[in-house]
Amino acid sequence: MIQASSLELRQHKKLVTVWSITFLILFPVLITFGLLMRMKQGEVLNIGHDTFYALMTLHGLGMAGVLFSIAWAALFYLIGTRYARLNIKVGYFIYFLVLIGTVELVIASLIGKFGAGWYLLYPLPFKGANWASWATGLSIIALIVLGVAWLIGSLHVVYALSNKYGSFYKLMGWNYLGKKEPEQKLPSIVLITTASLVPAILSFLAGAVFLVMNLMQQFEPTLAFDPLLLKNLVFFFGHTLVNVTMYLGVAWVYALLPEYTKREWGVNKVVVLSWNGTFIFIMFAYFHHLYMDFAQPLGLHYAGQLASYFSAIPATVVTMFGVIVQFYHSKMKWSIIPMTFLIGMAGWAIGGFAAVVDSTISINKILHNTLWVPAHFHTYMLLGIVLFIFGFLFYLAYCNSEERNDPKPGFGFWTFVVGAFGFVLMFYLGGMNSVPRRYSDYVAIESGNVHHTGALLAKIAAVFVGIILIGLFTMYGSLFVKLLKPSKANS
Amino acid sequence: MNQFNLLLTIQTKAAIASLIGAVIVISVVLFLISTSSSYEEKHAVKEKVYKARFKYFLFLSAAIIVVLFISLQYIPYKKFQTKADMTVSVVGMQWFWKMGQGVIDKSLDEFEGGNEIELPANKAIKFVVTSKDVNHNFAIYNSKGDLVAQTQAMPEYKNELQYTFPKAGEYEVLCLEYCGMPHGMMTAKIHVK
Repeated sequence: MIQASSLELRQHKKLVTVWSITFLILFPVLITFGLLMRMKQGEVLNIGHDTFYALMTLHGLGMAGVLFSIAWAALFYLIGTRYARLNIKVGYFIYFLVLIGTVELVIASLIGKFGAGWYLLYPLPFKGANWASWATGLSIIALIVLGVAWLIGSLHVVYALSNKYGSFYKLMGWNYLGKKEPEQKLPSIVLITTASLVPAILSFLAGAVFLVMNLMQQFEPTLAFDPLLLKNLVFFFGHTLVNVTMYLGVAWVYALLPEYTKREWGVNKVVVLSWNGTFIFIMFAYFHHLYMDFAQPLGLHYAGQLASYFSAIPATVVTMFGVIVQFYHSKMKWSIIPMTFLIGMAGWAIGGFAAVVDSTISINKILHNTLWVPAHFHTYMLLGIVLFIFGFLFYLAYCNSEERNDPKPGFGFWTFVVGAFGFVLMFYLGGMNSVPRRYSDYVAIESGNVHHTGALLAKIAAVFVGIILIGLFTMYGSLFVKLLKPSKANS
Repeated sequence: MNQFNLLLTIQTKAAIASLIGAVIVISVVLFLISTSSSYEEKHAVKEKVYKARFKYFLFLSAAIIVVLFISLQYIPYKKFQTKADMTVSVVGMQWFWKMGQGVIDKSLDEFEGGNEIELPANKAIKFVVTSKDVNHNFAIYNSKGDLVAQTQAMPEYKNELQYTFPKAGEYEVLCLEYCGMPHGMMTAKIHVK
């Protein structure tokens, strides 16, 4: 632990407020892009297919990027004010790089109509036929800028933690595996941040290789790379980024929830084994995205299913049971903050379970690229990490027990949760009915009722997005005002 | 019981499993909220919860091993396929499908497959699937609207998908990998006799 000076506290508070306000502005904008997509699929909004796919690309890249960025910024604040000294200038540098990358992506998508999807599945960005070549180049450069920002940000945090707590050996808690527990305790947030950011760093490097290859292709169209290799690289990058975002949220739940339950949530041998297991599983689970590439070596398919299944052990046996120990018979005073953490854990568990189901090869052969896929990842994003983020933002905004006397965020929160459950349910029903994902509409499908079912579910989902937005803006009523207040007692 | 299993599609089984999972999670959340108003020492709580955790760990480990063992019997890859009665070559290209009987022995440009094909029921058919340009996904839907088989169509690679049409009827091919603006219109027909 460190004792931050009041100047350091003020600087960190200012930086995290800048990140938070940016997130609070971008988040509903990106939700609105999703709403327009569902309305188009529901045949109640007439936008062009090119606009749909440009919005889809921006929605996917934007959400993944914004959620990772705010999760990183939240940890930058918590670590920098409590656990290890971080350079505030690095924090601002990352912010401006992310801003530049975001503006470039918006220009490429909304003006250049770049619509190759978040994953830029090679060689589609160069063979899309309906977007400008400059938009492809700008998108690649934007992603390089974002990747560099996240790489520097992650390296800086891990470097600062290793300076404070010792080598990688200690950061991963390996000194807990002997007979005696070490004298210097490792905070759980430090262990989880390391176990998450190190795989993230590796995935950013894979992403860098992928993007540089794409950039070379942009300037030299006669080049041809192996599409299966590039698919592996991009899914390692993208899947790991999203997975890590979730775990970063879990890191601050471990750190903040005990303040409400008054029960310590520390590191021990089992917790160390759990997060070391997660460290491995994060890096191999992405193979489940490539099950339908039959040409991929068989061993990698097995690795995908094994890593996906075994990742359930640390997540549920250690973290979920840890949550039970926190709440059970705790006589705690409830407020919006622990509630967001509890419901967020539930959303992560429900979405995670549906993801494990889909990671079964013999099930994925039917569910792959149907709406089942957005169903499960929207569950653990919208009802998992997003709730953890709002928990953190309320923690940041409110002074001590102040949140218990403000009913507005509670109403907004439950409205958001109801809207989000309804919204993801439409995706699950779509998956059950074999409705394909990434379709701008279902008009051309003749089989059974896929067309009409898909359109109907999209219409209902759009109504639930409206409910999500009502909940969101109700929460904003409290958050914005309090976040912008100059002083804060929580830190 | 066997009949029950046969009647449920994979989609339905996945939905039932996920619904059970969601109900368990929501039950735990309600239980935690309802029990949080009373107090017990942390070490007493830990003792109780850790006992349950150990049992859960054993159950989960056993369940994972059993499900892995069973589910890996039904994977769609070449090593697990039987001898095919017929081979059909499939080429995806922006934004249509070409299908033809036999193995392609010339360049993809010269391949003269069609957007519709007639195939027999109850015969093991091997689809050799590739792409001429970008990634596509060759997905077969039955007339009820159920997705019944799929594989990626990838440039430079050939994916071998085996499927036996259980009965005569009209089947539709959709593209399930985003491949550009008219992706949703990339369809083909399989007439099964």
